[in-house]
Amino acid sequence: MISRRDFFKGAGAVAVSAAAVSRAGAATLPEAASAADANTQVPPPPPNGRHFNPVVTLNGWSLPWRMNNGVKEFHLVAEPVVRELAPGMKANLWGYNGQSPGPTIEVVEGDRVRIFVTNRLPEITSIHWHGQRLPNGMDGVTGITQPAIAPGKTFVYEFVARRPGTFMYHPHADEMTQMAMGMMGFWVTHPKDPSQHAVDRDFVFLLNAYDIEPGSYTPKVNTMLDFNLWTFNSRVFPGIDPLVIRQGDKVRIRVGNLTMTNHPIHMHGHEFVVTGTDGGWTPPGSRWPEVTTDVAVGQMRAIEFTATDPGDWALHCHKSHHTMNAMGHDVPTLIGVDHRGVAEKINRIVPDYMVMGEKGGSMGGMQMPLPENTLPMMTGEGPFGNVEMGGMFTVMKVRPGLKRGDYRDPGWYRHPAGTLAYEWTGALPEPARSGSAGGHLMPARGQGNVELKVRKPTKGHHGH
Amino acid sequence: MKAIDMNAARMRCVAAALGALALAGCAGPAPDGGLGEVSTLAAQRIGQPVKLDASSREAAEEQVAQLLAQPLTADSAVQLALMNNPGLKASLGELGVAGSELVQAGRLRNPSIGFGRIGNGADKEIDRSVIFDLAGLLTMPVRVNIEQRRFEQAKLNAAAQVLRLASETRQAYFVAVAAAQSAAFADQVRGAAEASSELAERMSRTGNWSKLDQARERAFFDDALTQQARARHEAVASREQLARLLGLWGDRPAFTLPDRLPELPAAPLEPQNAEGSALAQRLDVLAARRDAEASAASLGLTRTTRFINVFEAGYANKSASGEPRANGYEVTLELPLFDWGGARVARAEALYMQSVHRTADVAVRARSEVREAYSAYRTNYDIARHYRDQVVPLRKQISDEVLLRYNGMLASVFELLADARDQLNAVNAAIEAQRDFWLAEARLQDAMHGGANKEQGAAQ
Ligand SMILES: [Cu+2]
Repeated sequence: MISRRDFFKGAGAVAVSAAAVSRAGAATLPEAASAADANTQVPPPPPNGRHFNPVVTLNGWSLPWRMNNGVKEFHLVAEPVVRELAPGMKANLWGYNGQSPGPTIEVVEGDRVRIFVTNRLPEITSIHWHGQRLPNGMDGVTGITQPAIAPGKTFVYEFVARRPGTFMYHPHADEMTQMAMGMMGFWVTHPKDPSQHAVDRDFVFLLNAYDIEPGSYTPKVNTMLDFNLWTFNSRVFPGIDPLVIRQGDKVRIRVGNLTMTNHPIHMHGHEFVVTGTDGGWTPPGSRWPEVTTDVAVGQMRAIEFTATDPGDWALHCHKSHHTMNAMGHDVPTLIGVDHRGVAEKINRIVPDYMVMGEKGGSMGGMQMPLPENTLPMMTGEGPFGNVEMGGMFTVMKVRPGLKRGDYRDPGWYRHPAGTLAYEWTGALPEPARSGSAGGHLMPARGQGNVELKVRKPTKGHHGH
Repeated sequence: MKAIDMNAARMRCVAAALGALALAGCAGPAPDGGLGEVSTLAAQRIGQPVKLDASSREAAEEQVAQLLAQPLTADSAVQLALMNNPGLKASLGELGVAGSELVQAGRLRNPSIGFGRIGNGADKEIDRSVIFDLAGLLTMPVRVNIEQRRFEQAKLNAAAQVLRLASETRQAYFVAVAAAQSAAFADQVRGAAEASSELAERMSRTGNWSKLDQARERAFFDDALTQQARARHEAVASREQLARLLGLWGDRPAFTLPDRLPELPAAPLEPQNAEGSALAQRLDVLAARRDAEASAASLGLTRTTRFINVFEAGYANKSASGEPRANGYEVTLELPLFDWGGARVARAEALYMQSVHRTADVAVRARSEVREAYSAYRTNYDIARHYRDQVVPLRKQISDEVLLRYNGMLASVFELLADARDQLNAVNAAIEAQRDFWLAEARLQDAMHGGANKEQGAAQ
């Protein structure tokens, strides 16, 4: 994480270089701040304009703005970026202002917003402001509501952020490619009254997915469903920052889904309610408790809960393939297969061969060399050993006594005595088991064992 | 028969012939029957010493035993073949025949004595003659010359046989070593397929795999078995071919081959004046040239003797009853009344021109063969080096990458094994390329030095 001062120092450096290039340009365009790494950068309170409580973008940041005659001006630069998906793996993506996803844009209900969009991609682009009420000509659909932004050109979008809530931005020009390459960002419109819907910690992240072949760096943009890297804000576990929460905090987590499948986001240790969708805030009377909420394709969900219980609580997509990193989907199951003799035969041909999978998929902490720029299928080291997770997985760290605004990782949770699962070391009596379980309810007809029988058609294929 | 005077010119001719006889009489083959010369001719071209006339049977046996004690090299295989190959021994026998014909040509036919008695009552006539081959004497220098050339040709042919055997042995050697290497690889491929098949069967038994998938792996294994059987037979067949050339039989078929073909030379031969040196070296070119020379010589002979038809002259005496004995000699000369000998000279001239053209043809062919053989040599060198430096390392790199993917559970053990099979096949192709280089090398040496293989008949 980066301190506020560091953050502004970085932004200043960008401004200086921009001014050196073109004084006239600097006079008319707001600076395009850029982030160089994937750390979570907690934004400072707004320096001007209406007050709001900023959100924390997981492994991301919020875009600074300039007030110009009462108009909030932002500058987004669409450009190729190198994003670290986790330590040990980088990806050639397209994003905004140095990162993918781009910076979060935070405004207040009623703000007049002017966004300059510069295209430094090799192809046309545009930006669609997903979920916003705005004049049709500002909707950003190439060909329908505006001409495309050609490479090297800058377009200006301007509208009033009318509805408070949770939004996204993404291209609407060659969007399949551009979103497969990581072009997207978060948008939060805070309510005019900061006390409305107020929470202590407000986390945001986008769900996105990439298909990067092991040993390569650039996503395959034509993949439709068989992605191999399922990410929160273009990061995979163990590269996703924890959600650090003070015990007793009221917490909001806003999740947007720009992948091509749904993700049941599941929280351990607490139940929550869905307080917001793409359409706005849900009426309190319609909310019901959940521990998993499915975020469908192109949707937003805001969930809220009070972090009552200290600990390290997992927060993840419940599709188990989405908590894996790149893996072979055509690898046959070897569970229970006796390798004696065969392994030696294979070793004669492949000397470095090691038997894997005959007891399941667990790697048991094996350190095996992998193709370059490839993360292990499941990884992460916890206080009790291997976490064996990847992809859309992170941890909520609920601790008592944290300072307001302190998001530093407090380390692993120390369990009070008597609150940790332990090994039974006593006697293990044989449990009583029924000899005919299920036999009376659904007696099998015919033979007990299933036998494969081929029934040959006697009169060709007719007579169905 | 009537005795007639011979003119002075003829007499001079006879005298010259008699003089030449003294010289030609001592020109015979060396005591070893020319084998030493053949050895030298061959050794210059094979590039290793060749010893065709074994001093003693025991010494030869011992040398063979020594050569067989080590794994064969291409050179030691050639040495063995030259000592042992029965076909070559038979061919070298021809050299002896030509040698004795040369000796024969240097000798006059034994004079014959004729005695006839014809009685008619009291009247009787006794005819006595001593006939000796005067024409043989007259033509001896030329005939010796011709036989000498024929003997030279026989030596060239023998050397060509030696070269051919050497080349065939080298080629059979490389084929046999490569086949053994390929058979060893086929064993490994079979091992990979066997491991796949066995694993598949166990997976099927555990319920993790269908009979379909199991059958597919089994089919791979069955293919590998067939390939292995073929490769093993190939190794046996090529080894036997080599054994035949080495002339090994009885209690001595045992020879060991090295595990690998010799490495490629660091750099390929450059074609410096290859065609020129082929013309100077090739035995078929030399033989054709000798043939033309021999034809020229016999053309000269035909010209000089155009009127001597029956080369017979003899001492004759005749005594009839009541008459004094008449002594003299007789030579029959043909009178050119109807045949001026022109046709025979024209035939000889045509034969001479034929041999000149044949020599030119052999030379043209030799140059072209050298060019083609060099192209094959160079191409095979480049391909073999490409396999060694590019294809095999790349295949290895692919296998390493597949193993990395297996490590990450990104690829299955079956992909690993399939890739291992591919890698082995690539190595096998590299062996074949290396073998083809050595075969092309042997053929280039052939084209540079031997080349008599196809021209065997023409030179005689
Ligand atoms: Cu998911």
